[in-house]
This record gives sequence, C-alpha cells and structure tokens, in this order.
Amino acid sequence: MISMILRRAASSSLSVFVLVTLVFFMAHLTPGGPAYSILGQKATLASVAQVNARLGLDQPLLKQYGIWWWHLAHGQLGYSYLLNRPVGALLWSYERNTLVFYSAAITLSTALAILLGLAQGVWFGRWPARLIGAFQLGFYAAPPFFVAAMLVLWFAVQLGWLPASGITDLRSAHPGLGAYAAHLVLPVTTVTLLTVSPLSRYFGEAVHEELGKDYVRTARAKGVGFLRILFAHVLRNALRPLVTMLGLSFPYIFTGGVIVESVFNYPGLGWLMWRSALAQDYPVLIAIVLIIGLLTVIGNLLADLVNGLLDPRASYE
Amino acid sequence: MSPVLEIRNLSVALPRGGAGLVKVLEDFSLAIAPGEMLGLVGESGSGKTIAALSIMRLLPPGAALSGEIRLGGQNLAQASEAEMRRVRGKRIGMVFQNPLAALNPSRSVAAQIAEAWRVHEGGSARAARARALDLLGEVGIPNPAARLDDYPHQFSGGMRQRVMIAMALACAPQLLIADEPSTGLDPLVAAQIMALITRLRRERDMAVLFVTHDLSVVRDHADSIHVLYAGRSAEWGGARDFFAQPRHPYSEALLGAVPRLGVARLRTIPGALPEPEARPPGCRFAPRCAYVRPDCTATDPPPLRAGGTHAACLYPLSAAPPAEPAPDLPAGERRYLPLLQARALGVRYPGHAAPALQGVSLELGRGECLGIVGASGSGKSTLGRAILQMQPHTGQVTLNGQDVTALRGAALRGWRRRLQVVFQDPRESMNPRMRVGEIIAEPLVLQGQTARAANAARVAELLNNVGLSAEMASRFPATLSGGQAQRVAIARALAAQPELIVLDEPTSALDVSTQAMLLNLLKALGRRLGLSYILISHDFAVVSYMADRIAVLREGQVVETGPVARLISAPRDAYTAALVGAARR
Repeated sequence: MISMILRRAASSSLSVFVLVTLVFFMAHLTPGGPAYSILGQKATLASVAQVNARLGLDQPLLKQYGIWWWHLAHGQLGYSYLLNRPVGALLWSYERNTLVFYSAAITLSTALAILLGLAQGVWFGRWPARLIGAFQLGFYAAPPFFVAAMLVLWFAVQLGWLPASGITDLRSAHPGLGAYAAHLVLPVTTVTLLTVSPLSRYFGEAVHEELGKDYVRTARAKGVGFLRILFAHVLRNALRPLVTMLGLSFPYIFTGGVIVESVFNYPGLGWLMWRSALAQDYPVLIAIVLIIGLLTVIGNLLADLVNGLLDPRASYE
Repeated sequence: MSPVLEIRNLSVALPRGGAGLVKVLEDFSLAIAPGEMLGLVGESGSGKTIAALSIMRLLPPGAALSGEIRLGGQNLAQASEAEMRRVRGKRIGMVFQNPLAALNPSRSVAAQIAEAWRVHEGGSARAARARALDLLGEVGIPNPAARLDDYPHQFSGGMRQRVMIAMALACAPQLLIADEPSTGLDPLVAAQIMALITRLRRERDMAVLFVTHDLSVVRDHADSIHVLYAGRSAEWGGARDFFAQPRHPYSEALLGAVPRLGVARLRTIPGALPEPEARPPGCRFAPRCAYVRPDCTATDPPPLRAGGTHAACLYPLSAAPPAEPAPDLPAGERRYLPLLQARALGVRYPGHAAPALQGVSLELGRGECLGIVGASGSGKSTLGRAILQMQPHTGQVTLNGQDVTALRGAALRGWRRRLQVVFQDPRESMNPRMRVGEIIAEPLVLQGQTARAANAARVAELLNNVGLSAEMASRFPATLSGGQAQRVAIARALAAQPELIVLDEPTSALDVSTQAMLLNLLKALGRRLGLSYILISHDFAVVSYMADRIAVLREGQVVETGPVARLISAPRDAYTAALVGAARR
C-alpha cells in the first residue's frame, strides 16, 4: 500500500507541476497588473513602474517563475501584493472558514444522499423513487447563484430569520457560537441542496444495481430479512461509487464554491480566490491553485484507499 | 415413507414485457423422499429454475403462483413472507450456479456462513464461527481454520462452490435445492462437487432437488428424474428405468444430444424451443418430434405409465432405441498436408511468476481438427491467442511454411484473414448496434468488397450455410438466441474464407441440444469446406467428438498429444487418464 501511495504521488506531481506552470503564465500574461489594483486606475506610468520594480515584476518572466519555485522550496509562498501579508498565513485564516462551512455541507449532503439513495434504490421505478428523481433533476439543473439568491430573499429578507451574508455579527463585541452557526445555515443549505442531487442519484443507482445481484438472492435464500440484506450486504458494496465521487469533490471542501461564497460574502478561500483573480494578486492566486491541485490528488488517493477497505478484491495494482 | 417435499399442480406465470402474465410452468407435480436425489432436467426456458425458485418463493416480483407446495405439513404456496423467512435456509438450503456472483464479494466466508446460522438459531458470534469452521471442514476445504477470514475471490471455483454448500447446510436443512451447482466448473472439479453432494445427502439423509440442463450430470447420482420441456413435465420416474429406456421422445433426443466418449454421431433436435408466449397447442414437443402423429397437436397428452416411468406422450416409446452404430473411429492415423506449425511457444504475463505457456509445440494438418483440452487456468485460451498473433509470445508460428511471427502491419492483417476465431460468448463479441448482415459482411468490406448487392448475396449464402434464414440479416444481436448468435459468429468467421478457425469454448454457454446442433454443423462445414479447426474446451467429451487429435494442456505445458482413440483407450499421462475418467461415457 505504501508503494502504491508513493507511485501515485510521483505520477501526480507532474500534473500538479503542469497545472501550476500553466496558471503562473496565464496570470502574468494577462494585461494590466497588480500595480493598478494597488494604486488605482489613474496611476501614472512612473509610479506603476516604481511599484513593479518593488514587487520584482520588472524582471523577465522566466526568472520570476524560477524565483517562485525557489521560494516554494524554502517553504515560502510569497506576500500578497494587495493585503501585504504572507500568503501562507492569509490562506490559513480564510481556509478555516471554508473548512467549517464545507465540512458541514459535505457531511450533511452525504448523509442525505445515503438516505435518499437507499430509498431510491429500494423503490426503484416506483413513485417514491420517481419523486426523489424529479427533485434531484430540478436541483441539479438550478444554477447555484439563483438558489442562493432565492434563499436569501425568503429567509433573510422576507422572513428575517437568518443573516444574509458575512460570517458573524460585526456589531456585537463578543459574538457567540450561535452567531457563527446562524451565518452558516444559508450557505450550507445552498451547497447541500446542490451537491446532494448527483451524490444521491449515483448512490441510488448503485443500490438498485446491487439489489439485483446474485448474492442478494443468496442472502434471501438463507432467510435473511430485507433490512439486514440492505444494511449488512448491499450498503457496503453500493458505497464505492459514492466514495469515488466524494473523493473528487474533496478539493471543494478546502477551496469552497467561488460563487456561493461570493453571493453570501463569506470570507472563505473561494471568495479570496475570486478577489485575488480580479486584483491580479499573483502570489495568492497561484498558491490557491497549487492547493487545489494537491487536494485533487489527495482526494482521489483517499477515495481509492477507502474503496480498498470497502472492497477486499482491490489489490492496489 | 412420507415425502419431504410434495408439489401438486404448481403453475407459475411471470410478467413479460407488455404481454402481461405469461405461464412459464404448468401443472408441475413432484415428490421427494428423505435422502432421495431428484434430478430436475430441462433446457433453458423449460421452467426448471422457476420451479426451484417457487419452492423458496424467491420468484421475481409480480409472479403469480398457484397450486400446492407441501413441506412437512406446511403449504409454502400460501405462506407469508415472514413464514418463508423461517423456511429459507432453515428447512430448505439452496445452492446456486456461479458461486463467485452468488457470494457477497466484500464479506468473509466465515461471516457469510455464520450469518446463515445466526439468522435462525441466534446464539453468540463465537458459536456461529465455530459452526462455520465445522461446516468448512465437512465440505472438504483443506485447512479450514486458516481460511475462515478469506473472501470469496481468494478461493478457486470448486472451493467457492463448497463454501456455498457449507452455507446452505448451516442449519441442517431437510431439503437441499442445487441449481446447476457444477455447471461452469472443470470436469474433474465438477465430479468432486457431485461426489460431495452425494456424500452429504447420505450422511444427513437429506433430500436433494438437483436442477440441471445436462442429463449426464445426474446419471450416476440421482434416484429419480423429472424432465421438463417448455414449462411442462415430459417424463418422470426412477432414474434407472429412465436411463435404461426413456419413454418420451424428448428424453430420448436429449440423451442422444449429449456428447459422450466414443459416440460417432450426436442427435440434433430440429427447430428451437418455443417462446413462452408462442407455445404450440397439444404436445409442446410435437413440432420437433421425430415420431409426431396428427393427433399429437390436437390434445394435451395425459401422463401415461410406460414401463418404469411416466411420460406425457400419446405414443411413448416402447422398443429399445435402435442400437448405436459402431463408432467409426479411424482405423489408422489419417495423413494430412501440414498447415500450421507452432514451435516452442511461450507466454509470460507481467506480474505472474509462472509462465502462462511454456515450450508448447503443435502441428495441424489441412482439414484436421486439433482439440486442446485443459482445466481453467491451464493456458489453453492463451495458446489460442498466441497462435492467432493476438498475444505477444516467444517461439515461432508458421502457416504453410511461412513464418508469421515476423509479419507486421498490412502483411500481418492479410495473414489474419486466413485465421478466424469464434469465442465462447458470441453476443459479447458482436457490436450490439450492427445488424447481423453488417456483422457478417464486415470481413468482406475489410477485404475491399464494397458492392452492396454482392455482399448481401454472400451474406445470405453464409447464413444459409450455417442453417439460418436470410431474413436474419436484418436482426440485431440482442434479438438472437445463444445458438443463433453462435451460428452468426461462425458465418462471420467463414466470410473471410479462412483456412483455420480457432474455436474457443464455442458451446460451453449453450444448451445440450443447441450444442449438438452446433457441433454437427461445425463438423459438416469442416468436411465440406476443407477447414482446419483448433477446438479449445475443458469438456473432454465435446473435444473427443470433434477432434482428430487432442493435445492435453496442464499448467502451460502440453502433457500429451495423440489421436483421440488412442488417448481414450491408452492415455500415457496420469492427468489425461483423470480427464478421460471424468468424461461422460
């Protein structure tokens, strides 16, 4: 298993390298530059050149690229041009928020997906499954910004039950846990509604497929009851596609949905990435892309490891 | 002695597509006494599996069932699902075909066997595990304690079926239903499974309902036989009387269709099994019967006692069957012009220590059929692929003196045309989106013959050659029966006008009567077109029926090669002798 992990790490480092390189040059080759975000659009050419010289942006592009790797090798991700803080610390302060937000959302949607998928697999082709399927398709097709905006309109604006944006109440000096939780409800609901559809659909298909297999008939022939067949036999085998999908959505847990975080003005990594891209804050942008790349690799690896635990036939070859 | 199981007038109807309920089993009655083994025999579509599943009430949803199924004092046909759960696994155990699929891949065998015990008997997990250990030992798993926590995929096919049997026996049932338990296993392993079931039923005085499509499997073991045809009983009674003198023409035909050692000619049953929606009036076998008379199609034949058995036939056979003509085994070895030579073939798959094939040398004459026999994993399919140049190998293959191992690109493709292949599962090897006509014409198109009219004529001719009507050309593979699909695969192979056809287990997925038809067809085609065959199979009897010479393969090496008659009468190798011993005769 260790050798499998090492082999996967070696083959994935190339794709992460290509990804980072691509983003580095794409970001630097776009017109404009961070100097304008710092000085404003009416900056004089002389002051722009001065800022560029200070940030090292007047150097040849290849040299800048080499310096970036040199710094990374020394554990440095650079300084944010805009906020003038070290990227590493900056990322972590935003990352915490995203982590809380998305962990809640993924846990909730996985639990819901398992429940809905079981129901869908058991009643496959009959009305309860068709009803679930109709909702799945509806939410799968709905754009995230629209769902988010509707939720804000109903629950924040009209009913006034929940806060519409931000992470906590800025007016209170010592916000309690309740304030943080209240601010999480709407974004978490939005992400859950949107991710539960594909997850439950795949899981439902898997449950239906597993229920038709020969070993289920064998279990029935042993006199095993239906609920026990479902939970002791079918569940474990049906979880595999769900785990693969969760592995693929792993990067989201850390980067967050750019759109959802911006609609709710939630200070997470997705929001930071959006801001950095607009301001051409290269060090932050590239660091986030690097993290996304690494997380994609790790997510896939984790999914494979968990599937290996679920399925004794997997041999890590 | 009162029977363990008594079925009276069981009828089952299943929902089929838009056609509503269709009767698949009618007026089925049987009784099994304690310790008795009853062979329930029929081809696919006869209703035998439906009969077995009805007893367990495991029919697909929507099935309608009428009649009586008495187990002890209880009528299972009327039992509720909760009552049935107490019967399944407790009083009736069931063993299925293909244990790899029938066992849960992600639970250890101990867990699966213990579950069968705990569901009914309760008790601690430790007690159930001890019970699983006992059972694994009883069914002959070597070193059972070390294998308790293994998963099904870690066992060989025969051992997996033993695990399945252990599971069915967990609560010491009165009745064991075995649905084709030895089908798909190597003959030597299948014989061991049969011996195991026989031993267990003697020791436990357990009744066994043995469901199979192959009469010869139950010949040595069953006490009584019940033959089903198209959803109705054809003949039933004591096994000894049945095999001495089958009374129903279908039984006789079925017995004659099984390839056995030293049989010169297989009986072919004309026509095909009728679909459940389109079963003929009167006797269902009448359209295919060699002894049919006008009134056979008018009325349902009543069961008549004839000799030792009952036959649902107006005119049961009375005379002893005509003596089989003496097998025309070739007096001397026939001489063939050499066609293909393979020298020192070797194949090694990456990641495997042992080579899949090692130092295999063969030769094949023009018009000769060479049989390659071996257990699964012996490398026989690898050998076929190496000869076809579909598999990188060491050594040399020459066709008509030309070394083909050196051929590349267009020259290799041109050479490939002269060698064709027919696989075990023909439907898997056809593009489901192409019509039969296009499938057969593809080799022609690849040779540059694109004239539509000429190709259509050629396709019709080829279909005719393999005994299919020209209208088949417009069908899709999914609508073909197994036998029809295999005939289309042969027609496709013939389209390229090959010199040699490699047949890789061509009949092992087919029913007995379909197999007989196909083997006879291949034999006739070979003679008429001067084809050479390499026939790969694990069934020694099938190979001995077809082949002129046989090469016995074991663990990647040829242990013996020789003419069929010599191999049967005087095998030189112990493994060959075991294969011959396990073959039907």
